[in-house]
Amino acid sequence: MAEGPILKLVKSDDAAVALPSGGSRPPSRTRRITPRARRILSVGGGKGGIGKSLISANLAIALARRGQRVVLVDADLGGANLHTTLGLDLPRRTLSDFIDRKVERLEDVVSPTGIPNLGLVSGALDNLEAATPKHAQKMRLLRHIQAMDVDYAILDLGAGTHTNVLDFFLVSDHGVLVLVPEPTAVENAYRFVKAAFWRRVRNVSQVFGYEELLHDIMQGASFRSPVELVATVVERDPEAGANLANHLAAFRPRLVVNQVRTAQDAEMGHAVVAAWRKYFGLEMDYLGAIDYDDEMWRAVRVRRPLLLDRPGAAAALGFERIADRLIAADESGRAADRA
Amino acid sequence: MKRLSDQTLYEIIEVSAAAAPAEIARACDRAAATYGPGSLATYTLASAEETALLSSRIEEARVVLLDASARSRYDERIGVRPHDAPAPAPAATPLALTPAPVAAAPAPPASTPVPSPPPPPHGAGGRAGQTFTPPPWPPPEVEAVSTEARHSSPGLPVVSQPPPQAAAEPPPASASPQPHAGPPLASLPPPAPVLASGEEASAQPPVAPAPLATRPGGPLPTPAPPVPIALTRAVAPILLENEVAPPRPLLVPDGAVWSGEMLRRVRESRGLTVQQVAERTRITRHHLENIEQDKFKALPAPVYLRGIIMSLARELRLDGQKVARSYLDRMGPVTDAEPKR
Repeated sequence: MAEGPILKLVKSDDAAVALPSGGSRPPSRTRRITPRARRILSVGGGKGGIGKSLISANLAIALARRGQRVVLVDADLGGANLHTTLGLDLPRRTLSDFIDRKVERLEDVVSPTGIPNLGLVSGALDNLEAATPKHAQKMRLLRHIQAMDVDYAILDLGAGTHTNVLDFFLVSDHGVLVLVPEPTAVENAYRFVKAAFWRRVRNVSQVFGYEELLHDIMQGASFRSPVELVATVVERDPEAGANLANHLAAFRPRLVVNQVRTAQDAEMGHAVVAAWRKYFGLEMDYLGAIDYDDEMWRAVRVRRPLLLDRPGAAAALGFERIADRLIAADESGRAADRA
Repeated sequence: MKRLSDQTLYEIIEVSAAAAPAEIARACDRAAATYGPGSLATYTLASAEETALLSSRIEEARVVLLDASARSRYDERIGVRPHDAPAPAPAATPLALTPAPVAAAPAPPASTPVPSPPPPPHGAGGRAGQTFTPPPWPPPEVEAVSTEARHSSPGLPVVSQPPPQAAAEPPPASASPQPHAGPPLASLPPPAPVLASGEEASAQPPVAPAPLATRPGGPLPTPAPPVPIALTRAVAPILLENEVAPPRPLLVPDGAVWSGEMLRRVRESRGLTVQQVAERTRITRHHLENIEQDKFKALPAPVYLRGIIMSLARELRLDGQKVARSYLDRMGPVTDAEPKR
């Protein structure tokens, strides 16, 4: 499993130091000295068909319309279709070109979308191998995403819990967990988020050299909850335990409940947040719900993003609310950095 | 964040230690609905043992915290003075980390039931999710690494104190809650039990709902924490017999005849409306009302009714088998006399 260095999956100290300087600039569109995607947002959820792509696309549009510079990256390698949700033809340049190094920079494969402020990196691949990029390729991609000079890089993740998917999720500032109020989706979402969490444990332990310690501890015992794990680590090595706790506490998915049909469905978001805290001792933020809306599939059929096709639809308003919350949260985050 | 077994009853139901009874009753209902076995939000999230433990602690909270004298004894034991802990408000959450260590203190004096410092942590851990989404929000994840202080806020904080706890936990956890749990079953009035903290381990289980009982194999899987396991193991056997008895004041004699009226009273004592039960059991309101009103003729054939009543009974934390048998026995003559459709 140890495949080389962990690059920025856990932000290193110097990366963290660099942040405040970026944040200290006015949050408008002034150029920063080192370009950097202000926020990386990834949309995952484990199960297929729960609306990850549509949420990515519509959220991207909502953010772009609020004056944010957004690049949408179709990270569903092998199942890419974001261009379709945006009503675009298959772009000439795609991630394959970047992964195969036909182009050097990720910016070179960004296609215009016809929507101001919004670019698309299509993930549609000709090259089958590119669907499962090697570690180094994935790291290069992540590095380039992190270095893009945009306000938001939005990654549409594939289904499942492949490590490629998890790593994109973990590297994000906002890991958006999509859930549909159905047992199957709930099950997969928990599996996804737990897998992401344990991968983070692994990453943190690699970065700080706790692997042996953890290996020892996990031998013969399986830990259901982070609380137990950290408690045990603390017993062995208080300092490592505290550090681990800090890093794991930063694992904080943002929840979106999609296809909500009743008020009760929407309430479920709060229940999931509460249950996650109760059982796992970890936090999650409920970004909001998106209504189940017939306009949604109608828009998909005509290959037009809902936000453009039916801006007043109930689901569209859900996207708008979530975009507002994200921006507000990020603004206040930057304000906190400045202070 | 503490392990379930380490959380105070207030933390379990996510209210401040100063909460009024009405608020506590609401919180118990909310917690039962949110974390209960039938909740979609917890589907596959937690193990059966954890779910069972949490359910039992919620019921325990209902029993203990809604009884003024039991509550004051409990408060004393965990070191909360009535007006002490009022402000576990939202803001407290981020701080959880810091207070935690303090909480650890109670541990050592395992034998003595006098942990005084715990109060702060409660507040911190407590408060339901809905309330405070905003505060810790923005900064956390991003530079998590650099700013430890701030980040510590979310979840894990409390964890850091475990070492002391680990050893000590068992006592507080078991000592406090169980006493109560047990008694009601035994048909003792709630208060007395508290003193009997002697047989903690065995005492606690009673409250635990069916789930545990159903999978006796369960307990072992959780290898990590020695303590919890011990508890769970002790629990299982006892459960089997006690399942029947509602942890509430309702003292149901063993040979009780289960009429619709009885079921209604149990439901009401659980603070559940017909609507809520209908939503959770998927039994239609119509059937539920007819069951409670003993409108036998309007009910489906016994073959179907049996299953319906069993799931209703389970929802009310009663022994499904017994209740169904008793109920069907009562209506037996009727249906025989005039076979339905």
